Amino acid sequence: MKGLAPLFLGIFGTFAFSWVGLTVIPTWQIGHLNPQSDEEGTDIYPRPQSGMFVRGAHVYAANGCVYCHSQQVRAEYTANDIERKWGNRRSAPRDYIFERPVFLGKMRMGQDLANIGARAPAPEESPAPAGAASPAAQGAAASPAAAQAASPSSGSSPATAPAAPPGTSPASAASPNAPPPPGQRTGVASPSPGQMANATPGGTSPVAPPSAQTPGAPWPIQTAGLPPMYSAAWHHVHLYAPRSINPDSNMPAYRFLYEKRRITGERSAESLQLSGSDAPLDGWQIVPTYDAKCVVAYLMGLNQSHPLKEVRSVGAAPPTGGSPAPAAQGASPPPPGAAK
Amino acid sequence: MNTTGIPLKDPAVSAAAGDTEQLERAYIDASTRVPVLMFYTSAIAWLVLGTILAMVVSFKLHAPDLFGDISFVTWGRLRPAHMNVMVYGWASMAGMGTAVWLMARLCRTTLRFPLLLAAGAAFWNLGVLIGVGAIFLGDSTGFEWLEFPRYVAVILFVAYTLIASWAVLMFRHRRGDQIYITQWYLLGAFLWFPWLYAAGQLMLFVVPLQGVLQSAVTWWYANNLLFLWFGAIALGTAYYMIPKVIGRPVYSYHLATIGFWTYALFSSWIGMTRMVDGPFPAWMITASIAATILTMIPVATVGLNHHLTMQGYFPLMRYSPTLRFTVFGAMSYTVFSVIAVLISLRSVASYVNFTQVSIAYSHLGLYAFFTMTIFGSMYYIVPRLVGREWRYASLIKLHFWASAYGIGLMTLMLLAGGFLQGTNMQNVSLPFSESIQTVLPYLRGRSLAGILLTVSHFIFAYHFGLMLLGLGRTSTVPTFLNPVEAGTSGGH
Repeated sequence: MKGLAPLFLGIFGTFAFSWVGLTVIPTWQIGHLNPQSDEEGTDIYPRPQSGMFVRGAHVYAANGCVYCHSQQVRAEYTANDIERKWGNRRSAPRDYIFERPVFLGKMRMGQDLANIGARAPAPEESPAPAGAASPAAQGAAASPAAAQAASPSSGSSPATAPAAPPGTSPASAASPNAPPPPGQRTGVASPSPGQMANATPGGTSPVAPPSAQTPGAPWPIQTAGLPPMYSAAWHHVHLYAPRSINPDSNMPAYRFLYEKRRITGERSAESLQLSGSDAPLDGWQIVPTYDAKCVVAYLMGLNQSHPLKEVRSVGAAPPTGGSPAPAAQGASPPPPGAAK
Repeated sequence: MNTTGIPLKDPAVSAAAGDTEQLERAYIDASTRVPVLMFYTSAIAWLVLGTILAMVVSFKLHAPDLFGDISFVTWGRLRPAHMNVMVYGWASMAGMGTAVWLMARLCRTTLRFPLLLAAGAAFWNLGVLIGVGAIFLGDSTGFEWLEFPRYVAVILFVAYTLIASWAVLMFRHRRGDQIYITQWYLLGAFLWFPWLYAAGQLMLFVVPLQGVLQSAVTWWYANNLLFLWFGAIALGTAYYMIPKVIGRPVYSYHLATIGFWTYALFSSWIGMTRMVDGPFPAWMITASIAATILTMIPVATVGLNHHLTMQGYFPLMRYSPTLRFTVFGAMSYTVFSVIAVLISLRSVASYVNFTQVSIAYSHLGLYAFFTMTIFGSMYYIVPRLVGREWRYASLIKLHFWASAYGIGLMTLMLLAGGFLQGTNMQNVSLPFSESIQTVLPYLRGRSLAGILLTVSHFIFAYHFGLMLLGLGRTSTVPTFLNPVEAGTSGGH
């Protein structure tokens, strides 16, 4: 090659081309998005997040959750993320405008978390873990949880929540330490509609038939005595002892985010509902540190279920007893404002 | 003709001219001795550390309770620690060592003030050390490939400025008009890296971009680090080592020119293929896929050029460890690029996105292509710096085969496991956990491959240590040739 000028110009030129093309032009295009709102300027989405959410994001970054969990739902025409109930529409750039850092992720050794907060039971229905010092009391604490799992977790229909029949409580209260009855494990025996794994805000019809094990459910076995799936209390148990919830899980246990404390007087309302070998000795309890509470607050805040104008929402399929999910697709688009 | 019957080039140059050249080379090599050996020693120390971390990462993925519940060895900290040790500790330092030496040789100029360059290497080590410590203590930024916190970026940048300005300074003082192909690549790498690193830091931390654009910058950065920094150094090295060892000019300068410019133009655009179907404007991803397909042009021209240069000289790989590693690396470049094209296509990407295939891809690029090429250059350069030949031919062979089989097995395991993982993930009649259960046996196979790589790296580190301590052979014949003391000079 003759001459230095072409060499230097070429080296800079090719690089500048890719820099402008892949970072500068996209910044012009989508780098200054605003939250969307309706005509009255209400119903703003997305909203800036709270301090605990932000700190939780740092805990999420520090412990490398992003290396196994993505936070992006692909469109229904390219992948089955929506059928897996990971969201009711594809993710869009506007969903992330307040996120820093953004955890899109490129690996799914665990499930997608873009809507993990939306899959939780509505907060007002979530029972505070009762201070249960004795096994009997623990069983009692579990029964509202089981009832919880059976109730539709739709934010739009809070009235149905108290009406959920406590069908499962006698069973679990009767045998707090025995293996749970098989019906309860799979949720078939539950007379009420819905199953936690499929709870999508606004998407669950109260008249849906009782569901069997749903194909898309990440962990079909919901052990009795555990808090309702994806509730804050459930996340704490899952972070502390993942294999107590799913024996095959290869998620690391984040025990360093929890403290073992002697019970002095009242048992802490925050203490984890653990069973088996994970439970601490009598007189001790496991309580989350502030970081653990923050990371759970972060997870509970991950929610892209709010409709976006630029993306078509696919109706979240209600649980259909054993039949393939696609049949129910588009059946019940979430009513606006249903999501919290 | 040499006595071993190996088809090496004859020392046909006249005695006087040869002597002057030999003397000049010896001077240049001597001037680079301290800094280059320092780069290599640090790099190999990082390599050993990174290998140990890799083993723990690999085993913990299928045995998650290994090493209990201590915060700083949780999997999510070990993994970025391993990756950053390998990227910034091993690969960058080894690459800079080779690049500095090549630059000095090709500019036919001695390295001025080598101790300042050594100071740059020391600073770089300090930056990597603090950065890895920060990751262990939970101070990661959360951006893949850029986990080091901001204060570390400052240290790395200062160190880098010191190092790169030396390389550019040598280029200014070069003798002769001809700028060889290797110099294009090295000059490119030395100029691209600071821009890349600065742009990444600026757009993520100083003036952070909004939302998903952070992810776009992350993958633009990661991809360009792989291609324009590591890839450019490796290709430049291959363009030097292959003709040098076989004693034959590069087949075609014209092909090399096409290869270089298309490489710079297209490979810098393929970052978004990691995010196919992600929440981005579709044109960004389409442009990246198109660029990935267009990288077949540099792959074809570079591959063809190397192949035609080597034509008829492939048997020499038996006698030269440098050639063996370098040719392995150059061939891996083709494999790596072909796989990059395959997994970027939308129809394939919807299966292999979010699976272990992406890990296979990174290791193909950083290990099979870059690391193997750099191993080759080390086998060539280190004897010229310490004035000794490698001690044991058997250790070199073990190193090569353990590395080659290790990375081959690892890639196969991750590709096959990842593809099955993705297929099961796409199949909604299976629960999600099934896709994880599917890939676990392959991850155990990967751990097995990891053991092979660990063995190979410890062997190499031991062998290098012997060289450093002056325990190499004093023969004038390279170790791989017939180790008879009275042999004639084989040269390389």
